[in-house]
Amino acid sequence: MKRTVRIQNLGGARAVILHRPHAVVQALTRQLAAIGLHVDAVWPDLDASALGADFVFFDADMGHDGQFPWAPGASPMPMIALIGSEAPGRIEWSLSIGAHAQLLKPVGDSGAYSALLIARAAFDARRAAEIEIADLRARIDERQTVVQAVTLLARQGTEAEAYAQLRQMAMTWRVTLEQAAARVVARYGAGGADDRHSRS
Amino acid sequence: MTRRIELGLLYSRSGSYCLISEACRTGALSAIAAINGDPSHGLTFHPVERDPGRNIDLYAPMADDILRNTTARHIIGCVTSWSRKEVIPVLERAGGTLWYAVPYEGFEASDHVAYTHACPNQHLLPLLDWTFPAYGRRGYLTGSNYIWGWEMNRLARDTIMAAGGEVLGERYLPIGSLDVGRMIEEIRVTRPDFIHNALIGPSSYEFLSAYKALGATDPAFLPENCPVLSCNLTECELPALGLASEGLIAAGPYFRGASDASFGSSHEEAAFKAVQELARLLAEPGSETAPLANLLTATPSLIDAQTHHTELPTLIAQVRGGAFQILERQAAQPGDPYLTHDRPRAARTLRVVS
Repeated sequence: MKRTVRIQNLGGARAVILHRPHAVVQALTRQLAAIGLHVDAVWPDLDASALGADFVFFDADMGHDGQFPWAPGASPMPMIALIGSEAPGRIEWSLSIGAHAQLLKPVGDSGAYSALLIARAAFDARRAAEIEIADLRARIDERQTVVQAVTLLARQGTEAEAYAQLRQMAMTWRVTLEQAAARVVARYGAGGADDRHSRS
Repeated sequence: MTRRIELGLLYSRSGSYCLISEACRTGALSAIAAINGDPSHGLTFHPVERDPGRNIDLYAPMADDILRNTTARHIIGCVTSWSRKEVIPVLERAGGTLWYAVPYEGFEASDHVAYTHACPNQHLLPLLDWTFPAYGRRGYLTGSNYIWGWEMNRLARDTIMAAGGEVLGERYLPIGSLDVGRMIEEIRVTRPDFIHNALIGPSSYEFLSAYKALGATDPAFLPENCPVLSCNLTECELPALGLASEGLIAAGPYFRGASDASFGSSHEEAAFKAVQELARLLAEPGSETAPLANLLTATPSLIDAQTHHTELPTLIAQVRGGAFQILERQAAQPGDPYLTHDRPRAARTLRVVS
């Protein structure tokens, strides 16, 4: 897959640095301000206002789950780990809390820009995959409804014709095959709809 | 009492981009002479020169030598982005500062560099915005095979595509290579509206001269139909080009005759201003050992404290009769190295954000 890194619209974006007062915060703030971001440094916990941030940089050395107002791995924005000690346990925790990119300490003159772009690309890719997985899962859950709908429609012809008819209905109604199947079952299947446990 | 301050100079005085080095060096030396001749500054500068002789591997050790073995904390120098990137780690370790007086491709804001020439929101983007309505949006991209060529053409491509244009070809030459035949042939076949030239030194001279010859055989390739655009060509390289430069369109913060100043080129001007500004920032005794960041917070400066870039106007000029003639002047605007800020004017529709 060819991925083009376009100039990202970072101007005016808000970054929160979750790190105790330290030269790292200063150096990172300078880099981010030069790029054009607004920066807040907080410690020891992210409060609810962090939910509005576009990026979160967090200390991987002293960090723990309780600092974040969301479940591990469920951050609503890209997260970048600030790693001092490359101990496997700390890297494992950074991954579990949901790091999309990392920046090694001490933070010097560079590194923030690439971390921002890589974290955003990873975050977007992960979110797109999650949406697709949820969609596929919902469709798998509806398999039984599709089978029921095809069986109901097949009373007037073959199974293949019934399937083609169902597809035609979905196209006409501009809905998914699964949604069309649910309508067919609700309309023609006496009590058929009761077997269905919708999860969508 | 006048303070005696050593000042590093790190320019290659031979090799493929030496005309630019010489222009920068001339600007720096004439600023030093002016400052040394004016007692009101309370200081004199004494150049400590090193010549890497275009050997990329000598820049870092020579910068290290200046910062370690002399009292100089500031270095005026570097022409290519490649050499600048080699020097930055040395500056970080030693707490030194580089004053960089050459247009570059942006996407950098080192705490240890003061950028006194233009970056893309001050050269390439206004130049393309101006070119599209005048000549069209179908471009051919050339460049030297290193970061300047790559990034400038990436930006050009993004800007052209965002404006609904077309990139008809993109080709690179190693620094110093004269092998321009294939580019010229591709241009002849694809017939673009304009050419963006991010080649440097002899590659650029060879290309421009071959393109001039192409124009003599087919009027589609005359400057009035398909001009060559450049963001780093200034008066300092015109002698090497002769007639091949006729019709070339360049963007820069200064061209000779554009103001009352009498600099030979914008390279000379940017280096002159760097030294002049440094003298101003070092006015306070004891400041000569302070890091750039402290100098910039202590005194308002033409170097922006956040980005370390400079507010500069954009002039667009064409070589006519052996000299640049100004076609367009745009007001000074701050350097925006990461292109994260809104651009003024009609540029809005051409923004390259995704």
